[in-house]
Amino acid sequence: MIELFDVTKRFGSETAVDAISLRVEKGEFCALVGSSGCGKSTTLRMINRLIEHSEGEIHLDGQPVRSFNEELLRRRIGYVIQNTGLFPHWTVARNIGLVPRLLKWPRGKIRARTEELLGLLGLPREEFADKYPHQLSGGQAQRVGVARALAADPEILLMDEPFGALDPITREALQRELQDIQARLNKTVVFVTHDMDEALALADRLVVMHQGRIIQQGRPIDLLHDPVDAFVESLLGGLDRGLKEAALTRVSERMAPFGPRLLASERIPYRASLSQALSVMLWHRVERLTVVDDEDIPIGELSLRRLLGAKSS
Amino acid sequence: MSESLAPLAPNSEGGRGVAQWRHWGVPLIWLTLLLVFTFGMAQLEVFLRLIEPDTRQVLYHRSSLASLLGQHVFVVAVASVLAIVLGVSAAIAVTRPAGRDFLPLVAQLASIGQTFPPVAVLALAVPVLGFGTLPIIVALLLYGLLPIVRNTLAGLSGIDPGVHEAARGMGMTDGQILRQVELPLAAPVILAGIRTAVTINIATAAIGATVGASNLGDPIISGIVNGNTAYIVQGALLIGLLAITVDSTFERLLRRPAAR
Repeated sequence: MIELFDVTKRFGSETAVDAISLRVEKGEFCALVGSSGCGKSTTLRMINRLIEHSEGEIHLDGQPVRSFNEELLRRRIGYVIQNTGLFPHWTVARNIGLVPRLLKWPRGKIRARTEELLGLLGLPREEFADKYPHQLSGGQAQRVGVARALAADPEILLMDEPFGALDPITREALQRELQDIQARLNKTVVFVTHDMDEALALADRLVVMHQGRIIQQGRPIDLLHDPVDAFVESLLGGLDRGLKEAALTRVSERMAPFGPRLLASERIPYRASLSQALSVMLWHRVERLTVVDDEDIPIGELSLRRLLGAKSS
Repeated sequence: MSESLAPLAPNSEGGRGVAQWRHWGVPLIWLTLLLVFTFGMAQLEVFLRLIEPDTRQVLYHRSSLASLLGQHVFVVAVASVLAIVLGVSAAIAVTRPAGRDFLPLVAQLASIGQTFPPVAVLALAVPVLGFGTLPIIVALLLYGLLPIVRNTLAGLSGIDPGVHEAARGMGMTDGQILRQVELPLAAPVILAGIRTAVTINIATAAIGATVGASNLGDPIISGIVNGNTAYIVQGALLIGLLAITVDSTFERLLRRPAAR
């Protein structure tokens, strides 16, 4: 659990973070969003003391972060940054094993852990363990970055725009993987991004920052429905808000059992989002879709009316 | 950093055993030539006579070439080791948070000093330190300091800030970051600075003969004074070979993959 109480950070006369309070529960995925320069990165880096806060208190599991030795504190917290920060003169395996080595784990345990993580992130050991960072693609390098952050099995993971430098396809793949990993490992994650779709897709809790202050926080769906002001509304997509909300809901939540009518010719997987279903309807100019499972077997149907939220079709 | 490491990578994979000897072949050839000429100069008397047919003495005889070579290497080695220790530590000190205030000053001094001709450094050292080996060591030390400081600064500040950030974020101590990350990554650039310093110093040390240091500059100076071109050729030949030997050794060191 991470708690911030009235935390302020000043750089000279400039106030980067202005008396913010925030509580991230254990196992929660918290996304800090806002335009650049809003203080979200600074907030993140104050948690592992890469930046010291000027006022207020930051607690981890009830203990002030200042009560820990800063290196020991950081070894307990996973940290992922945008440009990976992999050491170019170390192999992938050695990069991943960094924190366990700092913690003086026995060599065999480090090797086993490194292999486990390479597997978890879909990087076959034989192919990747002995490569150097410059031999990796952007997506692979960031996978290694995530593996390195997870190496000593920290309870907390801080991620500073980890997928910001990746192309959209790789970014989506890594977001999905991060969701899977999070579902399995249940870490407490603080994730900084300026990509609202990314934040909406990943976060349990969304924290909107502007000019060093938190202006709204809550579940993504609540923020979409009740933006506190025009800034949050525009940040959450303005006119596109309906689509962003639809992207948060899966087809399976709205689908209906088969009615008396014939099966609709166009199909949609049950895992797809409502925004994707709407897109399929738009594309084919139809009002009904057949919902199929992973084996492409029809399991129900989705009408435009149900998609829009009406009770019956 | 990563760009400069990229072309080195293929060396790091496979075929090391045999390749190692081939790699060191060039410096070994130059070293062999240097030793052959040092100990076998007498055999070349015939050729030296072609240069100076009228002079009775064509072989430098006041002391053996081997001992002059030894002196030369000794002076350069002492000055270079001191310059490396001082230069690298100074550059490290001013890139730490505590010493960062001095960074502009040291960087400035290093680039200004580089424009000083070595002879001028020597000329300034003699009145203070007198004649002999000491002034030449000091002059070489001062002159060698500059490329080393400059390159160490460049190497350390050329490291991707993301790497530094990650190292801190992972919980490495300042000492661990310096030893395991900064120095290995800056090593090729630092080594290039040392190479420049040592190579220049080998040539500059010869000037030390004018202030009473005995080394391979002796035959050259005495050749100039006595109008004996054969002496000059012997001194110049050996200094040249020594410089090339050392320089090609550094080239080898630099080409080896930084990651081992």
